[in-house]
Order: sequence, then C-alpha cells, then structure tokens
Amino acid sequence: MASLEDELRSALRRQAPSPDFAERVLARVAAAPVRRTPRVSQPWVRWVAAMAAALLLAAGSLEYRHYRGERAKDQVLLAVRIAGSKLNKAQKKVHMLAHRSNS
Amino acid sequence: MPRRTSSPAAGLDFASLVRQHQAMVFSIAWHLLRDRAVAEELAQDVFLSLHQHLGELESPEHVQFWLRRVTSNRALDEARRRQRRPMVSLENAPEPVAVTPQGDPLLGTALKKLVAALPGKSRAIVILRYQEDLDPAEIARVLGIPVGTVKSQLQRALALLREKLSRVAGQASGLSHGKE
Repeated sequence: MASLEDELRSALRRQAPSPDFAERVLARVAAAPVRRTPRVSQPWVRWVAAMAAALLLAAGSLEYRHYRGERAKDQVLLAVRIAGSKLNKAQKKVHMLAHRSNS
Repeated sequence: MPRRTSSPAAGLDFASLVRQHQAMVFSIAWHLLRDRAVAEELAQDVFLSLHQHLGELESPEHVQFWLRRVTSNRALDEARRRQRRPMVSLENAPEPVAVTPQGDPLLGTALKKLVAALPGKSRAIVILRYQEDLDPAEIARVLGIPVGTVKSQLQRALALLREKLSRVAGQASGLSHGKE
C-alpha cells in the first residue's frame, strides 16, 4: 500500500472544471460593468493626501482659535465702551447736581 | 466579445490566465466544498475578481499566489456560510463503507470523504499541501496564519487520517473474512 501522503496526492489531484468554464468566465467579464480604477492607488499618493488633510485640519483649528480670540477681544472692547458711556453719563449727572447745589 | 485585459507585469492576457489556472482554482474550491456546481460558481467569481485586480498584480507568481489565497479564503467562508451539515470532527465523521485496504480508487474516495470531514482550516491546509504541493511556509502565507500552526494542524490531520483509514481498512478486512 502506498504511503498516506502519496494516496492524498492522488486523491486530491487537480480536477478540470466543465469544458466551457473559461468561456463562461469571459462572458461574465464582458457583461460586467467596467470598474474604474481608483484614482488614489499608489501608497505615496495616499500618504500625501493624509498629510494634506492633517495640515488642513491643523490650519483650520488655528484659524478657529484666532477667530474666537478676535471675537472675545471685540466683546471686551464693546463692554469697555458701554461701561465708559455709562460712566460718562454718571459723571455728567454728578456735575449737574454739584452745579445746582452750588448755585 | 470579452474585453481583452492584460497585466504587463503578469505577462499574460486574462483569457490565458483563466485557462492556465482554472483547474487549480476549481480544484481548491471543489475539494473544500465538495459541491461541483458551487465550486464552479465560486471559481468564476474568483476570476471576475482577478479581472478587477489584474493591474495590481506584479508577476505570474503573484497572480498564482493571489488566486490560491482568494480561492481558499472564499471557499472557507462559503463552507462556513453554507453549513449544509453540522460541522463534525474527524473523530466523529461517519466511516466510509466498503473500502478495500489496497490502493485502489475506492481508497481515494474514502480519503476524499475523510478530508472533507476535517475542520475548515485543517482541510485547506491538507488540500494546499497535497493538491498544490506547497510547503508549510507557503501555506502559511496563503492562509495568513503562522507556520507553526500549519505544521501542527497538518501533523494532527495526518495522524487522524491515518488512524481513521486503518480503522476503515480493519473493518473492510473483517467484512471480507466474514464472507469467506
């Protein structure tokens, strides 16, 4: 009796598919819609895209922080202006009252 | 008329690749699934996929490696999905009947049944080893598992097949003695 390994080689030898197999595959390929090759296929292109995305994100984040800072500054200036005008009004009233009491 | 697609690196046009590798792809699927129609369908799907990825493959060896890997993985997935019969371990697999102990076609049939009863990964390892004549390192690359796992599962599968075959041979000789 041949060795088990030889028997396995014999039992598991390659089998041919049906005679029209290749023709059926080619017919299916012809009928299948054309698949566009993805534009981003090279690894370096993907790296560059990832780096560009990271840079954009960082720049956007910086810009947003700058915008928030500007807004805060505007709000502080507005508050100072409002407080200044209130102080002016109060000062005018005080002067007016002082003038009246003197006369 | 089918589109003629070729891969400069692979060196052959698609139709030639199909004719060259159809027996390999079909046989891996057939030995793993034991269903001719399903194996042919799966093999066709593998070649359609090859057609879509042909531009990415760099050499004839790369094409062959890609086909083995994709076919094995898809056939294993299909076997898992189908679950036509409950998974039985080799120890619990039914004995093939009426097998003569001498090397004859019936022994081959019995062996195919025993291999078909192996768990999926072990079955794929045995098929790639004895159908495709790959060494454990190549099998490990195709299936994406460690070489040590391939070696241990192969040894275990062979031991189980040997034990099962000797049991079958013993039964057959018992039957023939009973007839005398």
